[in-house]
Amino acid sequence: MTPLDVMWVGLGGGLGSLLRWLTGRVVGERYHSDFPLGTFLINVTGAFAMGYLSVLFMVDWHDRHGAALNSAVLTGVLGGYTTFSSMQLDAAKLAEKRGHVPAGFYLLLSVVAGLIAAALGGALARALG
Amino acid sequence: MLDYFIVVFVGGAVGSILREFTMLMVPNLADGFPMDILVANLVATFLLALVTALHRRQIVSDKTNMLIGTGIMGGLSTFSSFAYGSVVLMSASTASAIVASVYVVVSLVLGYIAVIVGLKLGGHGSA
Repeated sequence: MTPLDVMWVGLGGGLGSLLRWLTGRVVGERYHSDFPLGTFLINVTGAFAMGYLSVLFMVDWHDRHGAALNSAVLTGVLGGYTTFSSMQLDAAKLAEKRGHVPAGFYLLLSVVAGLIAAALGGALARALG
Repeated sequence: MLDYFIVVFVGGAVGSILREFTMLMVPNLADGFPMDILVANLVATFLLALVTALHRRQIVSDKTNMLIGTGIMGGLSTFSSFAYGSVVLMSASTASAIVASVYVVVSLVLGYIAVIVGLKLGGHGSA
């Protein structure tokens, strides 16, 4: 990994994080419920994009250091856009209001939807390629 | 408003670079278990919860909360690599599908413990 790759990850990560914050705000302004829809939509769309673009860029999901595009888009933008920590914090906030069962349901729903989205994204890229 | 744009961008950039370094420093286990992503996600989850609790008590300002919580910890943690990595493992072989299932369950359970402990510590600990 070169210093240039680090710069690409930082730039992409900054942009992805901005996108996450803005998406969360827009969803939060329009949708009022205890269910954390913003983070859910962010993570599911990000997982789909990761599946699609990883196959498109033809990288092994884990060995993607080096190419600027992979650093900027996959590690940077999508890594910064999606979030595991906010998902867990949302679950804890849900637990404070409604108890641990809805919180567990939200986590499970996020992960199942995320796995399906990532698989569909990859399948779509293979079908088109 | 522009202040917040800059704060989230800079925090997200720093967090993402920290995740990249974590991926380079933490080795994966021999069976393909993505230990690096797990470590990044758990550390980010715990620290996000801690900062959130301190922000609720007004020990941490709005902007610091945005910089560390939304920016750095949001950038350090990732859901897209977590999900896609699991899918790749699941479709590789039966053995790695088991590894992936353990990875998903361990991530969720330890992540949930991390967030509860972080909120508790920041909520009424000595911090």
